[in-house]
Amino acid sequence: MNRLLTIATALLLALTAPAHAHRLDEYLQATILCIQGTHVEGFMRLVPGVAVSSIVISSIDTNGDGTLSEPEQQAYARRVLSELSLSIDGRPAALQLGSAHFPSLNEMREGMGEIRLDFTADLPRGGLNRKLVFENHHQSRISAYLVNSLVPSDKTFRITAQNRNQNRSLYQLDFAQADGGAGLPPAPHASLPRLSGFEGAFRLGARHIVEGTDHLLFLLVLLLPAPLLACGARWAQCATIRGSLLQITKIVTAFTLGHSVTLALAALGWVHMPSRPIEVLIAVSILVSALHATHPLFPGREAAIAAFFGLIHGLAFATALRDLGFDRWYGLVSILGFNLGIETMQLIVVAAILPSLLLLSRTRAYSLLRIGGALFAILASVGWIGERLLNMQNSVDSVVEIAAHHAPWIAAALFLVSVLLYWQPTRHVQWSEVTPHN
Amino acid sequence: MKADSIVFARRIVTLGALCLCVAPALAQQTATARIVQAANTFLSSLDAKQRQHVLYAFDDGEQRARWSNLPTAFVPRGGISLKEMTPEQRSAAMALVAAALSPRGFEKVQQIMEGDEVNKLTDRGPGAGNGLPPGGGGNAPPRPNLGNPPAQSNGPMRPPMGDGPIFGKDLYYISLLGTPSTQSPWMLQFGGHHLALNITISGDRGVLTPTLTGAQPALYETKGKTVRPLGQESDKAFAFLQSLDETQRKQAILGYRLADLVLGPGQDGKTIVPEGLKGSAQTERQRALLLDLMGEWAGIIHESAAASRMIELKADLDETWFAWSGPVTVKPGSNITAYYRIQGPHVVIEYAPQTLGGDPSMHVHTMYRDPTNDYGKKLTAAE
Repeated sequence: MNRLLTIATALLLALTAPAHAHRLDEYLQATILCIQGTHVEGFMRLVPGVAVSSIVISSIDTNGDGTLSEPEQQAYARRVLSELSLSIDGRPAALQLGSAHFPSLNEMREGMGEIRLDFTADLPRGGLNRKLVFENHHQSRISAYLVNSLVPSDKTFRITAQNRNQNRSLYQLDFAQADGGAGLPPAPHASLPRLSGFEGAFRLGARHIVEGTDHLLFLLVLLLPAPLLACGARWAQCATIRGSLLQITKIVTAFTLGHSVTLALAALGWVHMPSRPIEVLIAVSILVSALHATHPLFPGREAAIAAFFGLIHGLAFATALRDLGFDRWYGLVSILGFNLGIETMQLIVVAAILPSLLLLSRTRAYSLLRIGGALFAILASVGWIGERLLNMQNSVDSVVEIAAHHAPWIAAALFLVSVLLYWQPTRHVQWSEVTPHN
Repeated sequence: MKADSIVFARRIVTLGALCLCVAPALAQQTATARIVQAANTFLSSLDAKQRQHVLYAFDDGEQRARWSNLPTAFVPRGGISLKEMTPEQRSAAMALVAAALSPRGFEKVQQIMEGDEVNKLTDRGPGAGNGLPPGGGGNAPPRPNLGNPPAQSNGPMRPPMGDGPIFGKDLYYISLLGTPSTQSPWMLQFGGHHLALNITISGDRGVLTPTLTGAQPALYETKGKTVRPLGQESDKAFAFLQSLDETQRKQAILGYRLADLVLGPGQDGKTIVPEGLKGSAQTERQRALLLDLMGEWAGIIHESAAASRMIELKADLDETWFAWSGPVTVKPGSNITAYYRIQGPHVVIEYAPQTLGGDPSMHVHTMYRDPTNDYGKKLTAAE
């Protein structure tokens, strides 16, 4: 009820007041300061509001002839400067006027005129604890002030703190200046640090695997039938434990080799692929490996398939790396870091799931897991293909997201189940027994 | 096992056939290809003179910066307006804008334009109120002197264009910088009062920065529906603020009032010192809310460009700051009246209610920038 009332009131206001009847009733004075080498530069925008424009105009057009002559403009700019004050490390600094640009009187009357002033002041050298205080008292009765500093492009400076009084007529900037050979101490905060090449890339690679569920899904689904041997058009149980391990190692290595190659090529700018088809092909790769998990499509050639699709996944990794803002400047270091991050995370996941796979594959329940997992992957990949190819919105992403979010619990539960089932003697199958199973 | 290898061979063939079917379909589907196609359709609908007005050189720095929050009569835009187009040209122009944006982004743009139509209907003509949306936008690059004599009259100024309406959804301008291409970079600009989309396309990449959105009225009713074009920007920010604990709020809420955009039109290439609460001091839930809030801007562009942008913003969350200035309460169903800013290594977002007189919840300007990549400079520098 209350809500309705509010909306109704707002609407009433909106419809009764002329839409643009807002009166700019202040004199906006926005200053941006910039520390650079041996100078402080200031850029000011002065915008008189409609209600106060006559006050401002009369203070510029001192002879009242309705035009702003060059001398009047210069005089006004100097007056503004004289009502500013800048001190550096407690000592007052003199301001020199740079350029001054005035709008037409018409624009100013409409609250659209912007006066632009630039000034500079000398900046003596200093140490690690420096203080700049900027005050603006120009037209304080009618003004709204705004002061900011630019992040210094000169890396020998660093901003450490900014403080303002309530109406921002007073602005204090604390900063550090590297002196000669002495570098700046590590940034406490307030500067904009960049990702350090290798470490940042490694972290991002690991995170990309955790969050890039489609890559993981492909690998996991391809591993599902790895402990099994194909028997004609069916999966049979089961390879020796050594055989299973060898198979899994081969698949993971092949996948790694595949995506490392294309990741390097694409990240170095030697091959270039649009991202959309790649995304679709990745979904196709999941579909293919899921189908393979239900019935052997390419028995014994999993490693080759993993390498082939690895090439495609690598292209997607490259896009991600580029999107993360790694310039070519970072080059090999970041590619290596990103790739190692991916590998590490991948190995952690494989290591977490491997014991369960091996144990469960010795039980009859394994076909449940294999078929169930494959079905899930088929549904997910078909959903992704629809979404990425035909723009069909669906909820695959959110469902997979939920599953991925609970991945550690799912893995733990899987392990528990596999241990329980494995130690039930009746369900236990010999390591090297080969029986049709499906 | 002969039978087995036949089965295997058959399956490989099937697989190959599947890939072959999918591949050509894929080639058609890239967003850039769709946008280029829409751009060419639009260009071919124009006559030679119009086309000349729409096209600029890709590196035309003045045209790039020729955008503002102000009505087009005050800061003339380049290109041609929808008003100067035939219905066919107009729909081709809007189809081009739609191709470059996500459905939600396009809807936002339409709601902003629709809001200006409300302005037009309630504009009481010359002399009413005047006091247009407050400045802060007037930067516009050295504009041509439009021939109005140095004002002698005391009456409120009408824009130099004459007696036509100064608001309305007709007064949005479109321009192209460079030649639409799926390979080499080009730009699409679309904007007018309270709207400036600057979209750089380079290969399969798309960059939306710098973009300005705004709304006045920021809440209106049309066809029995209440519309807040930038309502999500307000609601999600307020939800984020509410998720903060006392210590975090102390950092996030600035002790002073901010009257306007700091990095509005004309402030290209500047990176100010960030303030407020850093992403590394936020919980996972708060960071998710913050990312989602940034998505209101990042998600204006078509989905595939938006997706890679979101990855970038997400990776930067640790270094992304949130600062709030102004009232910490909001009337239900209404927009916030506080200023906020989100700033990270690759993003500056500002939300600035125009607090000068009137009802600040009804008038807002927002700015979306990437100091490292405005006008896609990062993409084109590598070329």
